[in-house]
Amino acid sequence: MMEEYLKINSIRKTYGDKVAVDDLSLTVPAGSIYGIIGPNGAGKTTTIRMIMDIIAPDSGEVLIEGKKPDSDFKNIVGYLPEERGLHKKMTLEEVIVFFAELKGARRSQILSDIDPWLKRMSLAEYRNRKVEELSKGMQQKLQFVTTMIHKPKLIILDELFSGLDPINIELIKNILLEEKRRGTTILFSTHVMEQAEKLCDFICLINKGQKVLDGRMAEIKTRFGTDTIQVEMEGDGAFAADIPGVESFTEFNNYIELKLGDNADTQMILKKLSEKVKISRFEIVEPSLYNIFIDVARVDPTELNAGEVTNE
Amino acid sequence: MNKLWVIIKREYAQVVKKKSFVVGIVLLPVFMIVLTVVPSLLARKKPATSQQLAIVDLDGRKMGEKFAGKLERYKLDDSSLTYIVTDIYEIDPNDTTEYKAVRSRLDSALQSNKIKSYVVLFDDIVKNDSCIVVAKSFSFRTADRFNWAITRVLTEERLLESNINMEVDSVLNLTHRTVFTQMAPGEKQRNFEVMYLGGLFFVLIIFGTVIGYGQILMRAVIEEKNSRIIEVMVSSVSPFQLMAGKIIGLGLASLTQVGIWVVIGLGIYQFRGNLSISADISDVLFNPILIFFFVVYLVLGYLLYSTIFALIGSIVNSEKESQGFIFPITMTVMLPIILSMYIIQEPNSLIATVLSLIPFMTPTMMVIRLNIMSPTNFTFADPIVLQSVIGVILTVLTILGVIWFTGRIFRVGILMYGKRPTLPEIIRWIKY
Repeated sequence: MMEEYLKINSIRKTYGDKVAVDDLSLTVPAGSIYGIIGPNGAGKTTTIRMIMDIIAPDSGEVLIEGKKPDSDFKNIVGYLPEERGLHKKMTLEEVIVFFAELKGARRSQILSDIDPWLKRMSLAEYRNRKVEELSKGMQQKLQFVTTMIHKPKLIILDELFSGLDPINIELIKNILLEEKRRGTTILFSTHVMEQAEKLCDFICLINKGQKVLDGRMAEIKTRFGTDTIQVEMEGDGAFAADIPGVESFTEFNNYIELKLGDNADTQMILKKLSEKVKISRFEIVEPSLYNIFIDVARVDPTELNAGEVTNE
Repeated sequence: MNKLWVIIKREYAQVVKKKSFVVGIVLLPVFMIVLTVVPSLLARKKPATSQQLAIVDLDGRKMGEKFAGKLERYKLDDSSLTYIVTDIYEIDPNDTTEYKAVRSRLDSALQSNKIKSYVVLFDDIVKNDSCIVVAKSFSFRTADRFNWAITRVLTEERLLESNINMEVDSVLNLTHRTVFTQMAPGEKQRNFEVMYLGGLFFVLIIFGTVIGYGQILMRAVIEEKNSRIIEVMVSSVSPFQLMAGKIIGLGLASLTQVGIWVVIGLGIYQFRGNLSISADISDVLFNPILIFFFVVYLVLGYLLYSTIFALIGSIVNSEKESQGFIFPITMTVMLPIILSMYIIQEPNSLIATVLSLIPFMTPTMMVIRLNIMSPTNFTFADPIVLQSVIGVILTVLTILGVIWFTGRIFRVGILMYGKRPTLPEIIRWIKY
């Protein structure tokens, strides 16, 4: 077992009658990438705000390396909230220095780090321009720089991928993987399960303020067996749902995923499919996180429509 | 402490770099000069040129000529006459056609600026006082002089007609008007107008700073809340540090502004001789005890109200939503201006004393009272000094309370977006 870095002991938070987070416990191992995953309104942001000590839990506690966070804690965290914003009238350099100084860094230390970061984000030429001159996507990248510039030991990212295009998602993923190799602990929340699946070592699925499932990603996948088939094909595969032995059917962008019953015959399914459509890939795989979530949380997939949990 | 400083630095720089800051620095002294120096210069200025007038006399007893004679005592700097009578029309009161013709001729002369005014002295004016003056505009001074001149003419006529066995001139000397010279204790001249304007001037600085900077602060909080910057900030500093940093940063900016004004003011004081500002104005504006309390109350007023503005900013989602809260604040701060005529006459009345000890009104109320009472020694034997100190203590206690309350609300409010909360909801936030 890896050494634990962050531990949450049964925290609870209510707003009036509404329970936002209910008796949630989780353990984030040092140097891991940990994903808190769930639909909108599941309590992800509230949980993260309690970790950040922005709001206080009604009960329960948050421990960093086994201790209550002290006043220095805020300095070693890099936090990217779900709702983002920067001072529009300041230049990029001023904004970066300002947020770094708020983390206790010295201006002189930061100045030389600004250029490499901006270069990596393709923002180098904007260093002395005002934030308001940047596009929305550029501002997101700048915000990410302000989160990372002071070399945090713990990075907390709420809805990391919102507002980013695929190229920048790739860019930021690579940076996070580099940080992980350096031993940084990374905790993020998302409702985009496919992204989480590719990035996380550990996950915690939450729904309606409660933990549904947590643990090491690989273990969870194995635990949920290899009763899943992914098929890439030409044509409409919707009829596959009616093939005997197929328990559930999920359509992704360019493939379908079938969950099989206990005694399903994969060869028979392959045969039935190939009678009607041209198959380019037929693979027995681990179930997707999305399907695991649906399975474990026992939610009706139609409840998780647009804006809630998604596959892509 | 270090982080607080980072926020103070940013807030200060953001305000001081703005154009409006420089404009504000220039505008107030201009306003001050307009308020104090210009009226005194204008009031002292003699009319530069003489003005023409015509007289219509319907009385038939040479009243027009006598009136013209009385006006001859007013001279310009070059000792030429101030009022030049172009024509005296003596008309029979029954000849209305002639009268109407003359009036319309004079009206067109007025329109074409050939004359500045004309007076009509009606029939039997000695008995019925009936006279009019027609002009496009009157100066107070000219109106006053015309009134004096006609009064004098009529008084002389009446004395001659009466049976008083005395020289007309000596009777007039016996009955001339006497005026009190207003003095303050300690051989100081006082001037009602100057006291009024001086008090207003200090209150306006406090009012401008409190409302102006308070609203800048509130807008900044609303903007940071709307642009979601606040959440990034409170991940690095505590909400209380954030609030304190903003209040102090903007406060220092406002003190910079007032500091520059004080320097300008001292400059004006140095050259007061050249600018012909009377000694009583400088006495009012440069009483050290008054200046001391003014600065203290300026700072306290700012702290009190900027905290309240921070509170409002954290609760509302837009400036529009804040309007309902701002009105009562503006009224409270402005109350002394509305009541100033009363306070100046009764600075020690129970109402004035009580109002000035209500902390939300103390900064402005006490300053306007101090200005009128102008204490000369810092001694608690002087009730106004004692009350001012009590006012400071009460205001400080209130500020501490307001800061505590705002601190509790602020940390919740800044993260609440969307619907404007109700009062019970806000009260509940204290416990969060």
